[in-house]
Amino acid sequence: MSHSTNSSKLVGTRWVELGLTLFTAAIGAVVMLGSVEQGIGWGDAGPEPGYFPFYIGLLLSVASLANSLLTLLRWQALSVAFVSRAAFAQVLSVFIPIALFVAAMPFTGIYLASALFIAWFMWRDRVRTKPYGKWMIGGVSLGAVTASYLIFALWFKVPLDAGPVGDWLAMAGSSLK
Amino acid sequence: MSEFDSLLQGMNLILTPGHIGLMVVGVLLGILVGVLPGLGAPNGVALLLPLTFTMAPVSAIILLSCMYWGALFGGSITSILFNIPGEPSSVATTFDGYPMAREGRAAEALTAAFSSALIGALCGVLLLTFLSTRIAEFAMSFSSPEFFAVYLLAFCTFIGMSKNPPLKTVVAMMIGFAMAAVGMDTVSGNLRLTFDQPILMTGISFEVAVIGLFGIGEILCTVEEGLVFRGEHARITPMVILRTWARLPRYWLTIVRSTLVGCWMGITPGGPTAASFMSYSLARRFSKNRDNFGKGEVEGVIAPETADHAAGTSALLPMLTLGIPGSATAAVMLGGLMIWGLHPGPTLFVEQHDFVWGLIASMYLGNVVSLIVVLATVPLFASILRIPFSIIAPIIIMICAIGAYSVHNAFFDVVLMLGFGALGYLFKKLGYPIAPLVLAAVLGDKAEDAFRQSMLFSDGQLAIFWSNPLVGSLTSAALAILFWPLLSRGLRGLLGWRGRHPAKAKSAP
Repeated sequence: MSHSTNSSKLVGTRWVELGLTLFTAAIGAVVMLGSVEQGIGWGDAGPEPGYFPFYIGLLLSVASLANSLLTLLRWQALSVAFVSRAAFAQVLSVFIPIALFVAAMPFTGIYLASALFIAWFMWRDRVRTKPYGKWMIGGVSLGAVTASYLIFALWFKVPLDAGPVGDWLAMAGSSLK
Repeated sequence: MSEFDSLLQGMNLILTPGHIGLMVVGVLLGILVGVLPGLGAPNGVALLLPLTFTMAPVSAIILLSCMYWGALFGGSITSILFNIPGEPSSVATTFDGYPMAREGRAAEALTAAFSSALIGALCGVLLLTFLSTRIAEFAMSFSSPEFFAVYLLAFCTFIGMSKNPPLKTVVAMMIGFAMAAVGMDTVSGNLRLTFDQPILMTGISFEVAVIGLFGIGEILCTVEEGLVFRGEHARITPMVILRTWARLPRYWLTIVRSTLVGCWMGITPGGPTAASFMSYSLARRFSKNRDNFGKGEVEGVIAPETADHAAGTSALLPMLTLGIPGSATAAVMLGGLMIWGLHPGPTLFVEQHDFVWGLIASMYLGNVVSLIVVLATVPLFASILRIPFSIIAPIIIMICAIGAYSVHNAFFDVVLMLGFGALGYLFKKLGYPIAPLVLAAVLGDKAEDAFRQSMLFSDGQLAIFWSNPLVGSLTSAALAILFWPLLSRGLRGLLGWRGRHPAKAKSAP
């Protein structure tokens, strides 16, 4: 195997393939374990609660292990790169911000986290030939958040957690009255 | 009461300004999710579900089903103008649609696509109108073993007929079943698979899984491919529409064939994606202009579009009559039905007569409304796609997060969505299908109930699934389809028949 062709390769497809099969096999094992806790046999009222899920977990584990076996059989053929380093960096540059956005939500509330997320995402794209101006970024992020407030909270009566910002706004609103 | 009377009654029910307004809103939203990358019909419907809880079921289903039709139409816009299938089922439309657009025939391709789609959809609805009552009546005699056998048939069809490796399909499906089992057991009331975590008590909602798998997973795949939207322009004038319509009858045979393929694939859980591919390769094989396929042949647009929509509409037939959805979107809608307190299945036709016929009537009207709306708004939606990714992507992600949150008003669901997003990305890259997971997550509890009831009847003997000719043939058919890839290989080996193989390999790009 030549090393020059692998320079930009992060990880072989076979490793990802194998990892996923082991992960799904583990889920199967967890499901079986949880089912055994509930009883997988035959009780007074017929099948016990774990009866059906146990076989689901069993099938999941068996199929996953068979998949890992197939991966091992095709080990050579699966040596191609799963994803190039550059492309994976792209994926992470979107995935990590989403993870931070999700992690921030309980503390800042949905609206503030969303506005910051959109603004940051647009600001980051400043390498393009025509970066977005401050007003553009502010307008889009505030506009999107306001629209979601109007549609979800007001129109369809689905309350969204506004977090501390919402509380402050509510307090300010009541003190004004 | 005859089907025609029921249909008139349904029409009466839905011909109100409010319902027609909902249709237009549904279609517009549908085209929007069909056009945007990362949002598609299944998660569009999942995102809208929490908003429909306060509506009357008829209004809610009109909104959701029209969104489905709109998304099917929207998927063809991006396929033809941008060479990007907005929906998996419109991949086949890109083969000839995009070349046509490059030749400057975008308007013709779009008109042909939308019109043949409408024909396919209307045939699907006709089938639904006249078959559904009969199937529902027939299914009234089903008891638990029959229902389980029908579920088994649906699941085995997925495994045996899917283009994905069968074992990967099994894994995806079992994860769906496992998800469905989390939370309260419907029979004993015990908490299962929660491992004493209060957060898992309400179970894992299929909506969250759909939003994560389809939405976030799709965004990640899009980013990795470094997608740039460079599209052709289109202006649809009445002249082009009329000219294209005048040429459509020439392709009647293709349309009829594609409709049949679509209806069949829609009723069996092959789904619209498989239908459009199959229809495209059949059209190519039988066409006089075979050599022109892939270079901008209008027949290559008509065939997949007709089948796609015929399958999309007829997927609702098994969903309404048997409670088994024929596509991922239908699965999400079925979940919605259950949340609204309706019981999909044969009893629906007796207990919810107005709901069923309102839906069927709305399908006629909704598809016609879709055609008009889509023809009028192509330039608008094409310009939405020209908005840079760095604006569209965070907004889509925000919508997904809010959608996941609003299912139970829980932040945990947003975290789950993220996990499912990562899983969806891996699944897509490694060739695991997502639709079976969704189907199993929605149907898991019902399939389990049917199985446990059957086991109770028979005292744990699996022989109950062959206890009468009906259930026996259903179960046997399910097993035959499950092992179909092996069986057909065996048969082919026995007969020494290999003639079709090269053609098949070529038709699946």
